[in-house]
Amino acid sequence: MNRLLSIFKRNPTIVLAYVLAAAMVIIVSILRPGFGSITHLRSLAIEGAVIGLVALGQTVVIIGGGIDLSIPWMLNSAAILMTVFTRGQDSEMVWAIPLVLLIAAAVGLINGSAIAFLEITPIIMTLAMNAILLGIMAGVASGGLSIGYQHGAPPPIVLGLARNRILGLPAVVWVWGAFIVLASVILSFSGFGRRLYAIGNNPTAALYSGINVRRVRMLTYVLSAVMSAVAGIILAGKFGRAYLGMGEPFLFGSVAAVVVGGASILGGGGHYLGTVAGALILTVLTSLLPIFKLPAAAQNIVYGLVVLVMVYLAGLSRTSEV
Amino acid sequence: MGDKTIVTQVVSGAKSTAGGLRQGVQIRVDIFALVPYILLIALTATLVSLNSRLLSIQVLETKLNAALPLMFMTTAQALVILTGGIDLSIGGVLSLSTAIAATQMGETLDSIVMWSLIILLVGMAAGAINGLIVTYMRVTPFIATLATWSIWAGVALFVLPKEGGTIPRLLKEIVQRGRLLGLPKSVYILVLLIIFWLLIRRTRFGTRIYAVGSNANNAYLSGAPVKRTLIATYSLSGLLASMAGLYRTIQYSAGSPTAGDPFILTSAAAVIMGGMSLAGGRGGVVPSIVGAVILLLINDLIYFLGVSTFYTPMVQGVLLIMVVAIQSLGHYLRRRRAVQ
Repeated sequence: MNRLLSIFKRNPTIVLAYVLAAAMVIIVSILRPGFGSITHLRSLAIEGAVIGLVALGQTVVIIGGGIDLSIPWMLNSAAILMTVFTRGQDSEMVWAIPLVLLIAAAVGLINGSAIAFLEITPIIMTLAMNAILLGIMAGVASGGLSIGYQHGAPPPIVLGLARNRILGLPAVVWVWGAFIVLASVILSFSGFGRRLYAIGNNPTAALYSGINVRRVRMLTYVLSAVMSAVAGIILAGKFGRAYLGMGEPFLFGSVAAVVVGGASILGGGGHYLGTVAGALILTVLTSLLPIFKLPAAAQNIVYGLVVLVMVYLAGLSRTSEV
Repeated sequence: MGDKTIVTQVVSGAKSTAGGLRQGVQIRVDIFALVPYILLIALTATLVSLNSRLLSIQVLETKLNAALPLMFMTTAQALVILTGGIDLSIGGVLSLSTAIAATQMGETLDSIVMWSLIILLVGMAAGAINGLIVTYMRVTPFIATLATWSIWAGVALFVLPKEGGTIPRLLKEIVQRGRLLGLPKSVYILVLLIIFWLLIRRTRFGTRIYAVGSNANNAYLSGAPVKRTLIATYSLSGLLASMAGLYRTIQYSAGSPTAGDPFILTSAAAVIMGGMSLAGGRGGVVPSIVGAVILLLINDLIYFLGVSTFYTPMVQGVLLIMVVAIQSLGHYLRRRRAVQ
């Protein structure tokens, strides 16, 4: 517990992010009574869960000093493959979901090994992988290779993730909750977590202290790809279908959630608990716009400003420590 | 190509006192710098052998017209990557420029000149803001420009909520239609862009871009104004992006608030394809432009092979990884020789 608390001590911006998210919800609920209603908060929670799950992988990669730009089309590919494989049948999920996750892991392994062993810069490798996945998905879809079911509905169980409730909360939120606990435990209490922070802070020092830097770095990309796939499956359930381009907003969204949550893009800092706050802030901000009758254009501007301000504040708190 | 030779010599000259042994390595580096040119020639030869009618001035005209915005964006990106940064906001600047051009310009020459200048100024100011954020707020270039990309894209959506608008016919007439001395005007624009870069490279500012990129600390210690150089580079990048936006508006006769987004990653890919490293300090703009041409030719090749052009990004991605893998092999060999 103390170790979890020390995260907040070391990263004051995480606390700030939570305070900001809570303050926004409270203030807007007072100003606009409809905002604080249970139904609305539930739909906010679903939005937050999707961004939060995508950003989990990005958080781990960024802590390790890398970045994953292949998230948008990894997510999209997983969503499409899932609907195609299952053809809307629950019974097919037994093999389809593991297969999709396995494919994702393989993509992550290619990313990770190229970055760790061939020493290709993460931005370039994941950018190229994003293009490759886009090409395959768009090409196969246009070629009509029996992918007609692409626009069909996902199986009822997947649909239910966003629509059914367990103990008053959407099922997706429970899934997210489980991943929050799991990720926090791994980051704060496991050897993998310690090694991850070590290589993010100083890969050379980590190498000399006997850490298999390459393997840890490779694993972060596998994890990121698998989490993108999980988020893609859930997103297909939320939209009721998979379509080309559904992952595009998450390139910005995943990085923004991580840095708003106080992690340094240079690696070695931050925590998934911060990213959770970042995801909540982005979600609440998005939902504010229609309430104040602002066009979607304002969302881009507000997102950009929030990222700048939070990153600046995080930088200040980091330099003041030194 | 020329850029690369000069810079590697300067850099390695500064780093090593033993000249003779390293000279042999230098030549090896240049072989890897040739990769984009070899690819360019191979792609062109394949395309021409598939269809000899491709070697005509009409084809050159349409191809170059379509390619110019990416070439400007690649130049913008290359300048920033040379300093060791990256500029994602050029996509937002391009969108904003098309939005302003498509909604504000009138048919008179006065209006065209005035709004063109305003657009270029906006682009430059947007770039300067990036530079200020990177230098004075100490935000890493990736995050800083990711944020400003979002901001400019938002402003573009305010100016022009969805694709549309018009461009004065007079402007299209001046910039695009017709030929000069038998050559399409786009050829002259490309030549001007390259001359512009070659001139800049010879100025003190040009040297400083390389100095800051290869080692900002050393550049600072040897008296180069690092912050000013960075701000100027980002401003130049914004200026070039707004030119790309202006040209794209003329090309499509309409604006689009999201026109810039596809260029962000493609421009970076073109720069990498041209052999530059994201670490900065090495390479040049001309190979980057060659990289952009390679990316575009892949699309043509796939089309002529009768494959769905939806596969283009895949082939581009694979080729990009291959080029980078060849480069890292080059680095590896060089390091091993240096050890020996």
